[in-house]
Amino acid sequence: MTGSPLLEVKNLEVRYEPKRARSMTAVQDVSFDIAPGEFVGLIGESGSGKTTLATALLRLLEKPGRISAGSITFDGTDITHLDQDELRDLRWRDLSTVFQSSMNSLNPVIRIEPQFRDAIEAHSDLRGEAVSERVRELFDMVFIDHRFITSFPHELSGGMKQRVNLALALALDPKLVLLDEPTTGLDVVVQHSILENVRKLQEEKGFAVLFISHDIGTVLDLSDRILVMYAGRIVESQPAGELLREPMHPYTKGLLGSYGDPRAETVRITYIPGRPPDLSLEHQGCAFAARCPEKIERCLTDYPELLPRSAGDVACHVAQQSGGTRHFDGPEFVKSADDSERAREREVVLTVDNVTKVFEKRRGLKVERTEAVTDASFVLHKGGVTALVGQSGSGKSTLARMITGIDSPTEGRIVFHGPDGDQQVSSFRGRALRDYRSHVQMVFQDPYSALNPTKRIGQILERPLVNFHGLKGEERRRRVEELLETVALTPSDRFVNRYAYELSGGQRQRVVIARALAVLPEVIVADEPISSLDVSIRAEILELLNDLVQTHDVGILYITHDLLSARMLADDVIVLNEGRVVEQGPALQVIRDPQDDYTRTLLDAVPNPF
Amino acid sequence: MSTTPNDFMAEGEPDQSRSVEGLAVEQVGSATTPDRWWQVIWSSKKARVGLVILGIYVLMAVFAPLIAPHDPLDGSFTPLQQPSGEHWLGTNTNGRDIASQLIFGSRVSLLVGLFGGALATAIALVVGLVSGYTEGTIVDDVLSFVTNVALVIPALPLIITLVAYSDTRGVWLIVGIIAITSWAGAARGKRAQIITLRNRDFVTSAKFSGESGARIIFSEIMPNMNSLVVAGFVGAATGAVGAEAGLAVLGLGDTRSVSWGTMLYQADAQGAIQQGLLTWIFAPGLALALLITAMSFINFGVDLLSNPHLRED
Amino acid sequence: MRYFLRKLGFFVGTLWAVVTLNFLIPRIQPGDPAELMVRRLQGKDSQLDAAQVRAMRSMLGTPDGSLWSQYWDYLGDLLHGNFGVSYTYYPFKVSEVIGQAIWWTVGLVVVTQIISFAIGMVLGAYAAWRRNTKLDATITIGSTFVGTLQPFWIALVLVYVFGYSLGWFPTSGGYSASTPGWNAAFIEEVISYSTLPALTLLIVTPIGWILGMRNTMIMNLGEDYIRLAKAKGLSDRTVALRYAARNALLPSVTGFALALGGVLGGTILVETVFDYPGLGRLMGEAVQNKDYPLLQTLMLLTTTGVLVANLIADLLYGVLDPRARRAEG
Repeated sequence: MTGSPLLEVKNLEVRYEPKRARSMTAVQDVSFDIAPGEFVGLIGESGSGKTTLATALLRLLEKPGRISAGSITFDGTDITHLDQDELRDLRWRDLSTVFQSSMNSLNPVIRIEPQFRDAIEAHSDLRGEAVSERVRELFDMVFIDHRFITSFPHELSGGMKQRVNLALALALDPKLVLLDEPTTGLDVVVQHSILENVRKLQEEKGFAVLFISHDIGTVLDLSDRILVMYAGRIVESQPAGELLREPMHPYTKGLLGSYGDPRAETVRITYIPGRPPDLSLEHQGCAFAARCPEKIERCLTDYPELLPRSAGDVACHVAQQSGGTRHFDGPEFVKSADDSERAREREVVLTVDNVTKVFEKRRGLKVERTEAVTDASFVLHKGGVTALVGQSGSGKSTLARMITGIDSPTEGRIVFHGPDGDQQVSSFRGRALRDYRSHVQMVFQDPYSALNPTKRIGQILERPLVNFHGLKGEERRRRVEELLETVALTPSDRFVNRYAYELSGGQRQRVVIARALAVLPEVIVADEPISSLDVSIRAEILELLNDLVQTHDVGILYITHDLLSARMLADDVIVLNEGRVVEQGPALQVIRDPQDDYTRTLLDAVPNPF
Repeated sequence: MSTTPNDFMAEGEPDQSRSVEGLAVEQVGSATTPDRWWQVIWSSKKARVGLVILGIYVLMAVFAPLIAPHDPLDGSFTPLQQPSGEHWLGTNTNGRDIASQLIFGSRVSLLVGLFGGALATAIALVVGLVSGYTEGTIVDDVLSFVTNVALVIPALPLIITLVAYSDTRGVWLIVGIIAITSWAGAARGKRAQIITLRNRDFVTSAKFSGESGARIIFSEIMPNMNSLVVAGFVGAATGAVGAEAGLAVLGLGDTRSVSWGTMLYQADAQGAIQQGLLTWIFAPGLALALLITAMSFINFGVDLLSNPHLRED
Repeated sequence: MRYFLRKLGFFVGTLWAVVTLNFLIPRIQPGDPAELMVRRLQGKDSQLDAAQVRAMRSMLGTPDGSLWSQYWDYLGDLLHGNFGVSYTYYPFKVSEVIGQAIWWTVGLVVVTQIISFAIGMVLGAYAAWRRNTKLDATITIGSTFVGTLQPFWIALVLVYVFGYSLGWFPTSGGYSASTPGWNAAFIEEVISYSTLPALTLLIVTPIGWILGMRNTMIMNLGEDYIRLAKAKGLSDRTVALRYAARNALLPSVTGFALALGGVLGGTILVETVFDYPGLGRLMGEAVQNKDYPLLQTLMLLTTTGVLVANLIADLLYGVLDPRARRAEG
């Protein structure tokens, strides 16, 4: 680092002071610098305050949030308290941004070009044709066809919109671009190519970047230096290489521990138990102490300052003394290759036989046919896990809907080998379909939407017991408790009368799993059950699902876009691309020796910090 | 992730007493229960004022015979008296006591508001629920079309036309006609909400729990629509109060009872302005305005439910 | 294109439904409204001709003939503008009576509604942009309060203040001495007579627009594209107008036609108070006199007017919101 920093943040504090709720310090005592041309990553999970920090840096905080202490100096100017008129000159020309929600950051009723034009004309002398020329140049930089320059935002796909946003951010050759989760919600393959585009442009143009993400894998790939944020504070700052080799803060170790090499014979991934503290409450000592396996007496009483150590800074008493281990010493989920061998011997519980699904959509007189699934065949074993891997639109959810009897196949058949003999799933109607669901259950992607907000946990778990097993009174109560204990929500009486919103994402997903287990099903279809959870707790749910397979003898169809988690949980992997099965086989074999190009693309997209 | 403080809620205080081995289980969050809908409404100062005023009106209507100094239909007083101790607001051209008419008039407005609003809400709820739950089927197509037609037909001209055919215009006829002409907007809103709710995973998971269709609608979906139903009711009741007054002003009110609208009708028809009987005109208008103010204030509280953006006011 | 066809289709469908409803209302009434009308008209003039009786019956129903054939007769009469004779204005036909009155109302409503809409959009957007300031509070609370006043009551108060006490404007009728036509004296009278009815509508009708615009605008201000526009360093004016208000305007455009239905209701009452010679007063008279042919026609006419306005608003929306044109059915 030479010369003065481009961005200098000192002891920044942001408070939310709503009238009707407790106020809270979302960002606390944050200090860091960014040098000109530097690519800095900022990692934090939901609730860590990273987006609040970004909003504060852009000076876009709105009531009830405000900067309550500290300073932000950009390019030599203290912008902490500049008024909006003074800020206006500096905006976009020097400091631009790409927001997380690409879907919504372009004005829906105005064509793309004028949205470039207003920014360019507000900050430069370019006018008329010169602006159009610049816009074409920018579109070339992000590889988008010029014909989309005059489109409306809704005519672009999500990935294209985000590229356009990137081009827009670069319109005036800014000195710093703030990227706030720029690819969240996009397909892994699309994410990958956009981020490569970002890195290449950054090298060419030499602007500095603050890249904010919850996903340590992508950040590590791109950044020169990384900041780790937890509970509103920066807990560690190191150059990317050093952070990877020698993480100092236990939280960083925990985050890194959530990744593993899917190709290894035995994969271990760790998870961080518990959840971040409530920032609206006063607390003493290190905010991470409650979840920390390395904590010492002092962590509970004194907050550790962010102090230099080895190549960076860390806020941890233990790290400052000894450095500890590289490995996160917390709970761990281990999967080795031979576990899977046993499962494949078991009997088949469900057969998918040459299934094709065509959706017909009427548009006026024309009928549009979309083939969502083409000629798919596979089996599910009792007590085994089969992973269905593919991007969104690959047909994996359509297959799930057919297996659970929501849709029926256009061609081919799905046969359930249940206690009443072989039955074709598409033949189930009404009563029979209901009964089928006592054998086949589902775990949903978003535990926030899968639990009725007006019901208590106990009421939710009771319903399948009443409907399918006719349980009453004491017996039913005991079974509910048992279920909660099975998914490790103990002591169960603390959870029975809670509403879903009182639980964390991980706890909710446990309730969803408990509900699926209530009827003792033969098959559980788990549709992306971990993708909406924080990275650091994903392994916890995978471990729970893995346990259930062992103890309850249930067959799981695990639907995911992520080959690492497929490897952790599944015995067999089926790769779907555009409705076709392109590859299938034992998990380790598919991952180590992929035969299909598409599988290789998916593998490349797995963030692998190692 | 948004910048709203909600991201930081729902987390409990870290339990300091647990050892490393005990880390595997998280604890349940502390008291971060979101407010129930009535708490949200009550939290708005405007809504509180509105509820208090409405309460006073209700008391006035219920205890009208005790409060009013005279029989509102007793025409035996000297006409055209100015306000006095005996006749607080004076007497009208028919020799009736204006204050007593005003007090008894609250009964009609409140009855029409309560029952007209409730009936319209009930119709809206049934149509909205059925239409939303059967989205994409012919049942929904028909109901949606009927709703949209009902929405574009101007209410008052239709109400007037319907009422005009009837010789006896009791309160219940007016309630009924107001209800069947004013449910459409709310029905459309409820249809839209049920469609969003219906596609939520908890509805699918209720099916997986073996729930019946009726139970899914009434036990899973309905409780999530409370705020919309309350808002719809307040809006419909306000509309009904106004519509009743409008009908009465045109001479289409209930001829056998006193309402603020009929007072205004008679005041206008019998030249109250020219005769200097200002209380006859001002009092019923202001009484109506205050009632509707109270209901609009309550609606401010109700708006907070459906539109959290407004909560920071 | 599909969007426009769909909207046109909806217009035709609704028009049919309204015409049919208008056919059914008198026919589901107890008794025989047509017979009643004929007898009362014969009381006025024993020479009532057969064609007029027939027109009356096709409008209001007849005991003989199937409902189906009545329906065809009714549709045929509508197409020929044959709505029967008015009881109130006998021997004039309903079409003639309405032809006289319609321009008064159209003029009043069109002028006041354009002004109201403009006032509403500007004040609403401004209040939202200056949210939580004194000005916002004044606009919001003021509008809410005025919004609770009933239009006919405001009309009565205006009559008292400007007509009776101050004597600035006439309070009743549409013109007095001069002959109707395009002459200065007449136009001056019309303006003078229309002032108070127009003022009443101008007090009442912007309220909904102000509050509605403020709400949608506030919601829009929370959107990412507004944050991005601010981050782009655009002027407040551009952010407020091109980004926030431009989007917030859209729901109001679709709401315009629906609100027009409410405005017509208010206009009926206001015209009655001012004895203004438009459709509203006619409707009041039709009700008083149980002049069913006139009443039914007025109902059909106002509804059709709202439908046409709705169609125009929908088409305009399609032009203003590029997403609408693409939205599938």
